[in-house]
Amino acid sequence: MTQDLEPMVKVTNVHKVFGRKHHVLCGIDLEVNAGETVVILGPSGSGKSTLLRCINFLEGPTAGSIEVDGVVIHAGENSKLRNQQILDIRKKTGMCFQSFNLFPHMTVLENIIEGPTTVLNQKKNQAIPYAEELLDWVGLTEKRDEYPSHLSGGQQQRVAIARSLAMKPKVMLFDEPTSALDPELVGEVVEVMERLAKEGMTIIAVTHEMHFARDVADRVFIMDNGNWVEEGPPDKIFNNPEQERTRQFLAHIL
Amino acid sequence: MNNNTTDQQTPAIPSGIPQEAQAVLQGIEAQETKYRRNLIIAFAVLLSLMIASLVIIGLDFKFMIKWLPFILTGIGYTFLVSSLAISLACVLAVLGALGRLSENPVLNSIATSYVSLIRGTPLLVQVYMWYLALPQIGKSLEEFGITGIQALFTLPAIPAGILALGVCYGAYMTETVRAGIQSIKLGQTEAAKALGMTNSQTMRRIIFPQALRVIIPPVSNEFIAMIKDSSLVSLMGVWELSYRAIKIGRRHFQSLEMLITVAMIYWVLCMILQLVQEKIEKHMSRGDRRTQ
Repeated sequence: MTQDLEPMVKVTNVHKVFGRKHHVLCGIDLEVNAGETVVILGPSGSGKSTLLRCINFLEGPTAGSIEVDGVVIHAGENSKLRNQQILDIRKKTGMCFQSFNLFPHMTVLENIIEGPTTVLNQKKNQAIPYAEELLDWVGLTEKRDEYPSHLSGGQQQRVAIARSLAMKPKVMLFDEPTSALDPELVGEVVEVMERLAKEGMTIIAVTHEMHFARDVADRVFIMDNGNWVEEGPPDKIFNNPEQERTRQFLAHIL
Repeated sequence: MNNNTTDQQTPAIPSGIPQEAQAVLQGIEAQETKYRRNLIIAFAVLLSLMIASLVIIGLDFKFMIKWLPFILTGIGYTFLVSSLAISLACVLAVLGALGRLSENPVLNSIATSYVSLIRGTPLLVQVYMWYLALPQIGKSLEEFGITGIQALFTLPAIPAGILALGVCYGAYMTETVRAGIQSIKLGQTEAAKALGMTNSQTMRRIIFPQALRVIIPPVSNEFIAMIKDSSLVSLMGVWELSYRAIKIGRRHFQSLEMLITVAMIYWVLCMILQLVQEKIEKHMSRGDRRTQ
């Protein structure tokens, strides 16, 4: 659109070491433009989730820097300013977890308005109309006053997506959002993610959902042992991969 | 197989369940009824045995009834001491738990020593510490030149009792609260943080309300224990329930009657508290999965 093509998310040379020597991310670079949908694939333990969690600082990177929508944070010591920046980045990024993590002591609606009321200091009646709009958007209007434990996994994940969207994030991170679901419930969640991508949300997703990677993603990244193996448009990755490692991995999961 | 005939005999069991399965269900139901009946009989026998033995040892029921109102007037002190002490204990427990979980070395060491010291010493000794030993500390401080401190450190019996019980139970409950907070899954904290909540918002809005549910049963337990431990303030001459019972019993050489009376009062109090606890637990569990 405009000529300043500052990426929405910019990960620069990020390392993550757990404990003293468990090197999970080995100098990862990633740039994601506004409106782009990126899918990260790779064998389990390759560092995909850790990378995602580094972007919103659920894990602090050991080295490197993260930039989200103009806020840059370098790895290193905690400080007051840095903590504030981390909160800034988290407000700009929504995250969906494999295990949904809805708040069980709140109803569906209360879950969705929790972010806006507590973090953005909105009044309840200010937050409710948009929350209801989102509920409608994920197709769960009638579950408004239910507690999460009364919903199916697919419904819970859709509420979790609505809860993230209530913060009006610039980026959505999906950490294996369908892995904990029964097969027949996967579709409803993927459908919501697809619509989100079409409406122009910037998405970074770790998922084994091949349909989403093939048909929705703009670019697909393959990770192994904390390094990128290959990246490219889904067409190229799935039909004509350059790397032998990519071929092996795809043969495994397809 | 046709099962219409048995359907009419037992309307509680829906049709469509084969006859042999129905027989099993009826068997289970009969067994449950039998168990409930036997349980009631067992309780009744136990109760009559207790009453009979009391009659056999020649308990003076008239004497008990005569002094009951006098003993019951002590209930006010028992309630005053235990409710203020439990309030203090709750505040200390939350602060203590946050300290125990804190990454700040000063707060963490204070909370850890508090729990260790208080749990490691007898409550009886602690009660005397607050009542008898604290004025001595006040005296020493006064000699250092802090005027007026001795009067402040010389506590009347009731405040001393409240402090002793509150501080002691606060230490035990610190561990209860800490365990409750730690029982909440990490995913909850992560979801709250991902929304942009600060640590204190996460604790207040997400973790603590859930932990509260976990800790209500053990905390009620502590409260019930404290109602009884509040009798320790009788050591300092406060006219609460047990002090009155013991005094009257000794004066008339009828301790058995008075002790049984006061024991019954405590028992009834604790049963009432247990009912309250069940009510609260029911209210707190509204987000739970209900199987229909």
